[in-house]
Amino acid sequence: MTSAAAPHPARERWWRGRTMRRFLANRLALFGAAAIVLLVLACVIGPGLLPYTSLSIDLRARFAPPFTGSHYLGTDPLGRDVAARLFMAGRISLAVGFAAMLLSTIIGTLIGVIAGYRGGWIGAVLMRMVDGFLSFPSIFLVLALAAALKPSAMMITVVIAATSWMEVARIVETEVRSLREREFVQAGRMLGLSGTHIMFREILPNAIGPIIVAATLTVARAILMEAYISFLGYGIQPPLPSWGNMLDGAQRYLGSAPWLAIIPGAAITIAVASFNFIGDGLRDAFDVRGDHK
Amino acid sequence: MTDTINARPGYSRRDALRLTGAGGLATFVAPHVLGGAAFAQGNAKAPKGRVVVGVSQEPTTFNPLMVHGETDDAVIFSVFDALIRIDAQGVMQPNLAVEVPSQANGGISKDGLVWRVRLRDDVKWHDGTPFTAEDVKYTLELIVSPKFRAWRTGGHSLVRDLKVVSPTEITWRMESAFAPYLAFLAETFIVPRHILEKEADPNITAFGQAPIGTGAFKWGQRVPGDRIELVANPNYFGQGPFISQLVFKYVPDMTVLYTQFQSGDVDLVDQAYITADHYEEAKKLPGRTVDLEAASGIEGIFFNLERPQFKELAVRKALYAALDRKSIIDSIYYGVGTVTETFMPPQSYYHDRTLPVQDFNLNAARKILDDAGWVPGADGIRAKGGVRLSFANSTTSGNHLREQMQQYMQQIFREIGVEMTISNLPPAVMWGDFWQKSQFDSGLSGVTFLIASDPDVTNRFASTSSLAKGGQGSNVMQYSNPKVDELLKQGRSTFDQEERRKIYAQVQRIIREELPFLPVFAYTVILGRKSKLDGFKFNPNVRTASWNAAAWSWKG
Amino acid sequence: MRGFLVKRLLQSLILLLIVSVIGFAVLNLFPGGPLAQYALDSSMTQDDLMRLKEQLGLNRPLYVQYLDWAFRLVQGDWGHSFRDRAPVLSVIGRHLWATFLLMGSSTILAVGVGAWIGIRSATHRGSLFDHAATIGAMVALSIPTFWFGLVGIYVFTLRLGWLPAGNMYTVGDESILDYLHHLIMPSAVLALVHVAIWSRYMRSATLDVIHQDFVNTARAKGLSERRILMKHVVGNALLPMITLAGIQLPSVLTGALVTETVFTWPGMGRLFLDSLGYSDYPVVMGLLMFSAVLVIVSNLLADITVALVDPRIRLA
Repeated sequence: MTSAAAPHPARERWWRGRTMRRFLANRLALFGAAAIVLLVLACVIGPGLLPYTSLSIDLRARFAPPFTGSHYLGTDPLGRDVAARLFMAGRISLAVGFAAMLLSTIIGTLIGVIAGYRGGWIGAVLMRMVDGFLSFPSIFLVLALAAALKPSAMMITVVIAATSWMEVARIVETEVRSLREREFVQAGRMLGLSGTHIMFREILPNAIGPIIVAATLTVARAILMEAYISFLGYGIQPPLPSWGNMLDGAQRYLGSAPWLAIIPGAAITIAVASFNFIGDGLRDAFDVRGDHK
Repeated sequence: MTDTINARPGYSRRDALRLTGAGGLATFVAPHVLGGAAFAQGNAKAPKGRVVVGVSQEPTTFNPLMVHGETDDAVIFSVFDALIRIDAQGVMQPNLAVEVPSQANGGISKDGLVWRVRLRDDVKWHDGTPFTAEDVKYTLELIVSPKFRAWRTGGHSLVRDLKVVSPTEITWRMESAFAPYLAFLAETFIVPRHILEKEADPNITAFGQAPIGTGAFKWGQRVPGDRIELVANPNYFGQGPFISQLVFKYVPDMTVLYTQFQSGDVDLVDQAYITADHYEEAKKLPGRTVDLEAASGIEGIFFNLERPQFKELAVRKALYAALDRKSIIDSIYYGVGTVTETFMPPQSYYHDRTLPVQDFNLNAARKILDDAGWVPGADGIRAKGGVRLSFANSTTSGNHLREQMQQYMQQIFREIGVEMTISNLPPAVMWGDFWQKSQFDSGLSGVTFLIASDPDVTNRFASTSSLAKGGQGSNVMQYSNPKVDELLKQGRSTFDQEERRKIYAQVQRIIREELPFLPVFAYTVILGRKSKLDGFKFNPNVRTASWNAAAWSWKG
Repeated sequence: MRGFLVKRLLQSLILLLIVSVIGFAVLNLFPGGPLAQYALDSSMTQDDLMRLKEQLGLNRPLYVQYLDWAFRLVQGDWGHSFRDRAPVLSVIGRHLWATFLLMGSSTILAVGVGAWIGIRSATHRGSLFDHAATIGAMVALSIPTFWFGLVGIYVFTLRLGWLPAGNMYTVGDESILDYLHHLIMPSAVLALVHVAIWSRYMRSATLDVIHQDFVNTARAKGLSERRILMKHVVGNALLPMITLAGIQLPSVLTGALVTETVFTWPGMGRLFLDSLGYSDYPVVMGLLMFSAVLVIVSNLLADITVALVDPRIRLA
């Protein structure tokens, strides 16, 4: 750990100094960050700049290939502008990705901290639960959940979060367990600080590096998950566009309107790759050990 | 692909009888049930060649009496025989019976209560055991056996005093006169007593995994998840088969299925057929015959009539006037689909062609609502007496064409001040209590109203058929009209076709006026096959295109 | 060792219990159910549906259904599919080999290609190849598998017409060549993500070894670079590779599910989706348990192998 040397490392500002310098030196990570900023900007501003809304249907202009008039990315089977839909879909997909990340990070951190700090049978039970969730191929669980529940953006977020908090929990648990016996924690205990205070105020800030790395990678994973679920038809429902459900149904037009499949897929790949680049850069910057599994 | 995950298409392809002439007479006209090539060739010629039929759902149920879907019919129709069958013209034909029982030939008593069926004496099961009236008795008894997971017991549960008169004759008495039973029998395939009798549990049997029937094809093998192979039954009592092998290949993805038809891997595309978006392209394929065939499902918008928004007829009329059916069919469904005004399939003998025709007219729609006192609010949505004209529309999630239709209707309805939201559900949820117990606002669904091609629609429109109202049936709209109830009762106990036609014409007229559902279109399927496949005939009265594989042969 | 095994086995059993309870609850707590699919069948009356519900035991309280299912499972009875009434294990068994063939071929492909890329990246550290491999791996990890499959179908089936788009065989031509022809695209698509993982892994494993003393010694002894690599790198990396393979199993299963969907491959993934669509609970539960067992056992085996081969690792 970078912070290991500091006597009370919680005070170190990770966004200053070495960590940030290292991150900035990573060109791929910077590229990823730039791509995400651009993508978010495009999704926020983009729809306002286009002459079409994502919902305006024009049956006469169905299946227009890209660069037909001002349909820069073509139109879909209802004659809606693919560019407008792509940006609106981006809002949903990115929002689902972020929200799922937040939710799963919070759940994972809570469980990880408690399991790591308390240890004993509580820790054992919690970590077996983590193992339990991990030994499901998560897509099975996600699909079973999604098939049973009424699909909505909120639902999908919860389902994704419910199946991706385990990695965060594992990482945090490992960190906390190793930090538990450190001097500053012992000191806190002797000062009579409460367990909660020690867990969340003293130990957690020191585990922030790995958590941020895991969180970044979780966004990437959540966006992919959303795409999988929506592609299989159990995800975000129309008319609300998402990158995943834009792909859903594109398969049948693969021969006649390939852009319907290619464009959203490319958007997903770019977004996910960017988050992965950032996550990787952060990992190097925080000097988090190898691949946490 | 998602189509198949999300389930079976929401309609089945059964159809009304089209009775061209008196029922009894038809028996003498058509000597062969399956028609077609049978006349040209004889049984002397050894069967040769293989036909590969592509299906988009996997056939898994081979006991024809158990709960099964339409895709299973593809196999069942070739392996088994029924007492009678319905042909492509909607005429009943004898199959295991020597003649179709009717009041005219004495097979059915004047009061409709006593039935007598005479059977063929030259039929053998695939294992060589002769087929007799005992098998029929066993079959009809098994269906109502409480332990057995039967498909449907409607009609069969009225049967009493089954009696085997001789190996070739069986009689029974009906608890009450029930005209649709004839059509039910055409879908009741006879199973071998000598095999099933030995099973401890009739639900879980070796027979269910490798069925033995009397049909033109014998069980070959099943490669799960991939295909089912049948082989010719050289001892078939009827004419045919002319091909030596019949393969049903499971291709869950419609695009892949079409690609395999294109490449020639699949000779015939059965259930769920070629998708509309491939129609234009498919027509131009060399060496392929691609036809549009009328099916029996009706795509419609179903109202939950107990919702305050839909209680008023004016609202339903206005929505019908704002339904742009032409654009929906032409653009979204690629012109495949027929405009209709009734639940009765267009090719049915009972279809009433004199019903008023809907006219898409937004101004008229607005006027109807204005006149009825529905006034637009600040948000442009009409309201009356505290009820906002806003409702949700639900269907199976993942059905792309329907979702497109919904989004299009949403936009148009907005123009007349009606808000429609889309709330789609996974199939298991959609068609569960949500649908059956009328928990929806409005639903979009493809429905086959007729049971076994009989025009009786008690199950759909009788006031006693609504679960939500404590009844039994599929009247999910909670429709209730005493006049309709009375007519349906009459129709069920009337055997005379002309009389029945008059009765059901009245039912159709009332339903058209009251609009408990809005008919969008009658289904048309796109049937693609290799042009060299001879003897093929589409039959809108059954659920599978492979109903007459015994008559198929390869040209040249 | 024995203590470890007993402990792990107990843990695994508890895991399976948790998995089964979660799975059962998820499947059963929500509306719909196995009979919903027949609600649209005009010929099935409500009476028929109620009768079937009772016959299938679906009207019993949920915990009774669970306990019934669990006790039968313990006795080795996995139940019967609602759909084709065959025993669940035989239903799974019939789809198993298709998935294993797909997983096997794609794993071989992934390990082979991944190892080659990884070792080459390590020995040419900082080269254009290395950078390209790094970026390529990250991008590969970010591509939605099914989309990659779709693009593959578009290019190789629809545009070029070289490869079939689905199924395992052409009916009537069941030669090994025909099979391989069908296998190319799905296994390549499934392998993509794992090529990326393996190449990253092999790269760091090679780098670890490359600077160690014994390699330098070997080099000094005049052994060729290639032989050193083969002998030491691969030898040293083999062990963790086994672990990695174990850990990756769930992700391969997930990938297989999606790939099987895109290419209509008749394996377990296809079966799972079909069964889910039909609410065929016995089969869905069976598949959940089966995959959980598979994952647990492979993890366990990986741990044991590592422990046996490398006594330095203490099993805790």
